Amino acid sequence: MISIDAKKQIDVWIAKYPKDRQSSAVMQALKIVQAENENRLSADTIQAVADYLDMPGIAAQEVATFYENYNHKKVGKHVIRFCHNISCMLNGADDLIKHLENKLGVKTGKITADGLISVKKVECLGACVGAPMFQINDEYFENLTSDKIDQIVNNLK
Amino acid sequence: MADIEIEIDGKVVSAKAGEMLITVSDREGVSVPRFCYHKKLSIAASCRMCLVDVEGVPKPQPACSTPVNEGMKVHTQNDKVKASQKAVIEFLLINHPLDCPICDQGGECELQDVAVEYGSDVSRFSEGKRIVPDNGIGALIQTDMTRCIHCTRCVRFGLEIAGMMEMGGTGRGENLKIEPFLREGIQSELSGNMIDVCPVGALTSKPFRYELRSWQMNSMPSIARHDLVGSNLFVQTYKGKVKRVVSADNDWVNETWISNRDRFSYEGLTHKNRLLEPQIKVQGQWKQVSWKVALDYAVKGLNSHVLKHQKANQLGGLVSSTATMEELYLLKKILTEIGCDNIDHRLNVKNLDNIITLDSNIKLDALEKIDYALIIGANIQLEQPMINHRLRKATKKGADIDVLNVMAFDFNYLLNTENITAPNKIVFTLAGVLKSIMTNNAQELPDYLAAVEVDEVANNIASKLLNSSSSVIILGEHIINNEDASTIANLVTQIARNANSKTLNLSITANTIAANLVGFVPKNSGMDVNTMLVSDMRGFILLDIYPQYDFHDLEIAVKAFTKDDTFVISLNGFKDDIVSDYSDVILPIASVYETSGTQLNINNDMQSYTAAVKAPKEVKPAWKVLKVMADLLELPGFHYADSTQILAEISHQPYAKHTHDEDINLTSKYNSISTIWQSSPYSIDAVLRHSSALQKTKIGQMNSAYMNQASAETLGLSADDKYLGVPVVITSAVADGCVFINANQATNTQEQT
Repeated sequence: MISIDAKKQIDVWIAKYPKDRQSSAVMQALKIVQAENENRLSADTIQAVADYLDMPGIAAQEVATFYENYNHKKVGKHVIRFCHNISCMLNGADDLIKHLENKLGVKTGKITADGLISVKKVECLGACVGAPMFQINDEYFENLTSDKIDQIVNNLK
Repeated sequence: MADIEIEIDGKVVSAKAGEMLITVSDREGVSVPRFCYHKKLSIAASCRMCLVDVEGVPKPQPACSTPVNEGMKVHTQNDKVKASQKAVIEFLLINHPLDCPICDQGGECELQDVAVEYGSDVSRFSEGKRIVPDNGIGALIQTDMTRCIHCTRCVRFGLEIAGMMEMGGTGRGENLKIEPFLREGIQSELSGNMIDVCPVGALTSKPFRYELRSWQMNSMPSIARHDLVGSNLFVQTYKGKVKRVVSADNDWVNETWISNRDRFSYEGLTHKNRLLEPQIKVQGQWKQVSWKVALDYAVKGLNSHVLKHQKANQLGGLVSSTATMEELYLLKKILTEIGCDNIDHRLNVKNLDNIITLDSNIKLDALEKIDYALIIGANIQLEQPMINHRLRKATKKGADIDVLNVMAFDFNYLLNTENITAPNKIVFTLAGVLKSIMTNNAQELPDYLAAVEVDEVANNIASKLLNSSSSVIILGEHIINNEDASTIANLVTQIARNANSKTLNLSITANTIAANLVGFVPKNSGMDVNTMLVSDMRGFILLDIYPQYDFHDLEIAVKAFTKDDTFVISLNGFKDDIVSDYSDVILPIASVYETSGTQLNINNDMQSYTAAVKAPKEVKPAWKVLKVMADLLELPGFHYADSTQILAEISHQPYAKHTHDEDINLTSKYNSISTIWQSSPYSIDAVLRHSSALQKTKIGQMNSAYMNQASAETLGLSADDKYLGVPVVITSAVADGCVFINANQATNTQEQT
C-alpha cells in the first residue's frame, strides 16, 4: 500500500521526532502517501499510514479529515483551494469563487471535463495579508481579482 | 500538595493546591454544570459549560481545568456566570435536534437537565440544523449522532479506559462528526460504558431502544455474577422484567465501569428457552406438573433409589460455579444430613489430582499500583475485562507486563515481553524462573531444580520480579487442564514467596471462591466429580448444569447421568435437550437478578444482593427449592425465612481450610499436541449464551480452533476443516504442539481426540 520510496520519505520525518513519537509524522506521511496515490487518500491508504506509524486508524482519519490539503475524492491535475474564511470573504472571495466556477463551468468540489482542474472551498490558509487568495497545488496566489484569476487559470496546463 | 483555603460563593473551603476547581466544588456539593468533564477521564475543557467567575480574572474560567490557588475567590452563581451558562447552552443547542420526546435519553439526559436549569426557554436560532447520518456501530450501542454535542467523552473513554481508540472526531468546524473508522463497529469488551458516559442521547443502549422512560423503572443495586470481580451495578426493572443494567460506583471493585458481559447479559432472562414449569419424566414422557407433585416425585425418587437402600454414598451433588453462596451451602447441608459426602464444583478439571491450588492475595485496587506483572495462560483482556483494566492502568504508570501464553493474544497495552510457548514447556520456564531467583538470593536449591536449565526468558522474568517493589503473578484459565497444572501453581507459589510477589488466581470463575469457602468439595470418603462419573451411582442432584459446556468430557458425564437406575434431579434455568435426556425431574430455578444471594469476589468481599425481579411463571429461587426439598426429606435445621438467615448461618461455620502439598515434580508428561478448550467469553454461562445482542458481537461469535501449520500437518487438517467440531484457523500466533480453541458452541466432540 505504501511504496518503499514513500516509506523512505516518511522515515526522514519520523527521525525528526523523539523515539516512540513517530505518530507526530502523520501529516507529512499522509501527504507523501497522497502524492503517490493520484493525489487522494482512501480509507485503506489512511489505515496503511496509521499502521506504519503504529497509531489507531481513527486518529489518522481525524487528521486526514481536519486539514483541507488532503483529498478524499478524485481530483483534477491541479487543485485550486479557494479560501472563503473571514478575511478573504470580506474582500470579496464569494464573488470571485462564483466567477471561477463560471469560467471553468464546474461547481466547487467538481472536476472540469478535461480532468485538468478541480476547485475546493477551504478554510483559512494563513495568508490574510494578501486576501482574497487561493492555493494551486503548493503555490499561493494572493490579492486576487477576476482578471488575475482568468490569467492564472489560462496558464494552467 | 499543601492544604489551602479558597472561597466558593462566599464560603471558605479547604482544598489541595493544584486540584481542579470542579473537584473542589463537587466535593463541597456546589452544583457546576458540565458535559465534557468526567471524573475518570482526562480533561478536555471543550464544552465550556462549567464556566465560573474567578475574582481577578477578566473572563469566566472553566472549572474543570482551572487549578485552585490559595485565597482564590470563585463565584458560581453571579450574573456573569449565569450569562455565560446561558450563552453556552444556547450554543450547544444550536445543532441539537431537541427530539427529546422520541429520545431514549429523555428523563436521564444531562443536556436536558442543564438546558432546563441554565438555558433560555426560547431559541433565537432560526437557521437549519445539521443532520448527521448514522452508520451503525454494532449490536450493543445505538447511535443518533445528530444529537451529539461533541463532548468527546466516548473518544476519551476509548483512548484512556478501553485502551483502543475506536471513536474519533473527523472533519472540522460544523462538519465535525464523532464516528468510528471504517465502520467496523465498536469492538471493545468495555464499550457499553460509552452509553453511560454519553451526556446526551447520541449513544444509547441498543437492546433497550424505545423500551421505557428511565423514571418508569425501579433501580435495584445488585452484583454482576459472570466473573470473580463482582462488579456493582443497578438492575432497572419494569413490571417484573429486567429492562436494563447500568453500572454503579465502587472504587474498590469496578470503579465506575462494567464489562459488556455484565451490562447486556440480562437479555438472556427473557429468552424463549427459559424453563418455566417443573417437569417430571413418567415412563419416558415429560409431564409439566405443579411444584408439589414435582418435589414429591423428586423426594420419592431419592428415597426409592438411594435412601431406602442406605446408599447415600451412591448419591452425588454437583453445582456450576454460578450458584450463589447460599445455594452451595444448602445443597451441601442437605447432602451431609443424609450422609452423602459426594459433592463437587470442579466440573471441568480433567485430573483432580492435578488441580490448581493458589490463593489470591492482592486486592483489585492494588493491582493498578503494581510495577510488574507476569501473566500465565490467560487471554486476560477478554476473559477478565475488569482485571485487565486495572493492569492497563498500572502500565500507564510505568508497570511492565510479561506474558507466558500458548498463543499471542491482543492486549490493549504494550507488553514488556510476550513469550509464546507450548503448554508442556510452561512448567520448565517457571522452574527456570524459580532457580534463577533462588540462585540470585544465594539460597540452597531443592533437588528438583538441580537439572533445570535457566534460559534467557526465565532469567529476564526472574530479574524483573526481583527488581520490582510490588509485583504480581497471575495464573489464568488456560492452565486448568494443563498436564502440569498443580506443579505450575506450586511453582508460582514458590516464586512469589521467594521474590516477595503477590499472586492472583484467575483459573477459577464466577462464585468458585464461595464454593471453596463453604467447602463444596468432597471430604472424608466422599467422591470427587470424576470418580462419581465413573462409579456406580444411584442418584444425582445437579444444580444449574449444562454438561455440554460444563464438563471437560461430555460423553462420560452423560453416560453417568443416563444410566437406567440413576435418579437425576436437575435444577436448571434454561431448557436443554441433553439435560432432558438424562433427568428424571427438572426444577426451574431463578437466574441472575431473580434471586437473593451472595457472591464472594477476588477481594474476598462478600457481596450480597436481593432479587431485583420475581422469577417468571413457576420459576423459584434455588435456595427455596432446596429448603423445601430438605423439609420434605424431613431433615432438621432448615427453617429459613429468607436467604439472609442462611448467610448468617454460613458466617458462623468454620471456613473450609485447604491444605495441599506443594510437591513439585518436573517431568514432561506428554509430547503430542495438546488442546486447550476455552469457552468464548460470552459462552461461559447459560445466561450469557442466551443474550442475543452479546452473541451478535465479534467476541460472541468467536469460534475457532487456532493452530500453527506444523500442528495442522501433524493432525492432517487444513483451513477448511473442523477440529473437535470447531473451524480450524491456521496461524503462526500459536505455539508449537498446541491447539487453542475458543468456542461458543458445545463440546460435542471429545471422542475425536
